[in-house]
Amino acid sequence: MKTGKEKIIPIIAMVVLLIGIFSTIYVDANQIEKDTIKINGRDFTLNQIFSDGVERTIETDEGEKTGVALEYIIINAGVDCTNCHDYTIKAKDGYQQTVNWNILKTGILTDYERVFFPDTAHSFWVRDVIEIEVK
Amino acid sequence: MNNLKFIAGILVFGSLWGFSECIIGSSLSEKGLPTGAIMTGFFAITFLVISRMTYHRPGMQFGMGILAGSLRLFNPFVGCHLCSALAIMAEGAIFELVWYKISFDLKELKPITMQISMGIISAYFVYIGGYIVTQILTPIVSGSGFFVTNLIAFMPNILSSGLIPALIGAVVLPIVLSTRKLDLRLKDKLYYPTTLGISAFCWIFVVGYWFILA
Repeated sequence: MKTGKEKIIPIIAMVVLLIGIFSTIYVDANQIEKDTIKINGRDFTLNQIFSDGVERTIETDEGEKTGVALEYIIINAGVDCTNCHDYTIKAKDGYQQTVNWNILKTGILTDYERVFFPDTAHSFWVRDVIEIEVK
Repeated sequence: MNNLKFIAGILVFGSLWGFSECIIGSSLSEKGLPTGAIMTGFFAITFLVISRMTYHRPGMQFGMGILAGSLRLFNPFVGCHLCSALAIMAEGAIFELVWYKISFDLKELKPITMQISMGIISAYFVYIGGYIVTQILTPIVSGSGFFVTNLIAFMPNILSSGLIPALIGAVVLPIVLSTRKLDLRLKDKLYYPTTLGISAFCWIFVVGYWFILA
């Protein structure tokens, strides 16, 4: 005769698999494909960002990284009091990280749409950036 | 089993887990494979279950996680030491929670369906639990502050990412449990030299490289 655990554990395992499968379907269906980056509510192409911005090379624990300084991207996007806001950097897969101005101004955006910061954990190096929201 | 033997067990299994995360995990990452999923589904589950089968003591897997995470902090091969170290430390603790109601003689896990089910449950919750903990703690520890909206927005991806480790765990756990029939116990006079020797090798290799590359 089956004990309580022998009944409940396979059911939990099935529920776990269903959660994994449905969330995978949900994530795939909600991937955002776009060729612009929204900054402070306005869409910019990568070409625009690079032609208007200031390129900078920073030193990270994975070596040197070159891109446009986030500091100037935000200023060029028309944010007045840069120090008054937090900034949420969003990726196309839903990943997002929020940083304050003191961190943001040290970072860069590369031509492969990834941000890097010299002194943060890698979890802040958001890939496939689609938006920088000014909060 | 005396406490010294138990601590030596934590040391050797935690060191092996940390070593595999640093060395094997780094090579998998370079090849573009889903490193986290493989490391948790295969290596973490293997070491955690073997240690539970061998030592029959609560707290061991938590200690192993702390030790493996500490070793990961010294890993010179790939970055994000803090994120992975926090995740590994959390994984040990989550494994203890998941297995809390399972007896140490593992008598509930005789049917193969129970073994597969526990493999799925363990690997899934250990993986997504570690992922969630690191998403919360990394911004806090690194001083940037935690924003719950960032975690909520990414939750579907985290829940989805546990699927591969769960499937790996479903295969790995029955295989690991089948080794119960093998008698791998060491004689007392060989136990301490072997456990300490293996642990020392793991730490010297990883930390030594860290000093060389620093």
